[in-house]
Amino acid sequence: MWTLSDYRRVFCVAGLLGVIVCSVPSLMTFVHLPSGERFSELWVLGPGHMAEGYPFNVRSNETYMVYVGVGNHMGASSYYRLYVKFRNQTESLPNATAKTPSSLPSLYEYREALEVDRSWEAPLTFSFSGVSFFENRSMVESLVINDVAFRVDKMTSWDAENNGYYCQLFVELWIYNAEPDTFIFHNRFVSLWLNITASV
Amino acid sequence: MKLKERLVLRRAFELGVVVVFLFSVLVDVHSVHGFSSDDAAAAVAEADSALRVTFVSVVDAERSGANVSELMGRLNDASSALTSAQAALRAGNYSEAVEYAGACKVLSDAVAGDAGVLKSKAAEGWWPTVAYGVLGGYLVGVVFLTVLLLAWHLFRKFYVRKLLDSRPKVNE
Repeated sequence: MWTLSDYRRVFCVAGLLGVIVCSVPSLMTFVHLPSGERFSELWVLGPGHMAEGYPFNVRSNETYMVYVGVGNHMGASSYYRLYVKFRNQTESLPNATAKTPSSLPSLYEYREALEVDRSWEAPLTFSFSGVSFFENRSMVESLVINDVAFRVDKMTSWDAENNGYYCQLFVELWIYNAEPDTFIFHNRFVSLWLNITASV
Repeated sequence: MKLKERLVLRRAFELGVVVVFLFSVLVDVHSVHGFSSDDAAAAVAEADSALRVTFVSVVDAERSGANVSELMGRLNDASSALTSAQAALRAGNYSEAVEYAGACKVLSDAVAGDAGVLKSKAAEGWWPTVAYGVLGGYLVGVVFLTVLLLAWHLFRKFYVRKLLDSRPKVNE
């Protein structure tokens, strides 16, 4: 059976716990617990907002659509830029190990300032024009992204292993860094492999 | 007036008309195209810089505890204007590029101003919030401890009485 001093201990412990619980809201004003890992998401979805139905075999003068999106989990509001670039198989992609972007020029650019734990998504429509084929090569003269035309003059060689003229449309994620007052490559990119085919 | 003098005057008049015509054409061309590519590029660069400065102001306001959701929306409107300005610049529509860049800068500056106001308000509201929080926590703690002490006091009385009641009684 418990003695009076045992009950006293129980009351003391309850009092201590109560004081701690009551002081938590006040303490949280001054004490900031470390947040989890800080990162940004970058994704590309098919026309149905799903990870399916991505365009692959593309033809001249036909419009294709995907969605690009960004999620901010950086612990504070972030200002992003998404650079849309286009390459053939021999041109450079971003280097995830060296954390360097592709050296190719950006064709189209999205900008979005996002609050913490918010995400953003936008359509990315594209079409090709001036597509020609000769001597195991294909040539794309112009790429239209979101109704803005860009002259690319991109030559693609026949890929005998995968049977196609492959090129890649990719999106790099850059983030604003206030210290040097510039956007830096955020080491994230997503890409779409496209096989240039002749119009039927 | 002699014929020669009249001819000279007439030629001077014709020359004047041609000069005025050329001048008006030049003025007209300038009003149609308005700005050079350098002007447009400078306006776009200025708007871009203003947008970055504004973003920093908004983040400062956010760090002060202000709700910046509305500001973020407006900042992105300014950002859209800049995207349009860049598209116009690329397409060679320099007047349009300057116009969009100007709109971006106006929106951006307004957001920066509001961010400053929100930051000040958040800073003013910080101390009372903290004070009320601390005071509230202290009061709740005091009430809790008082109730606990009271409960302990009553319990102790109850326990002692129960102990005394359970004591074996001696029949005399």
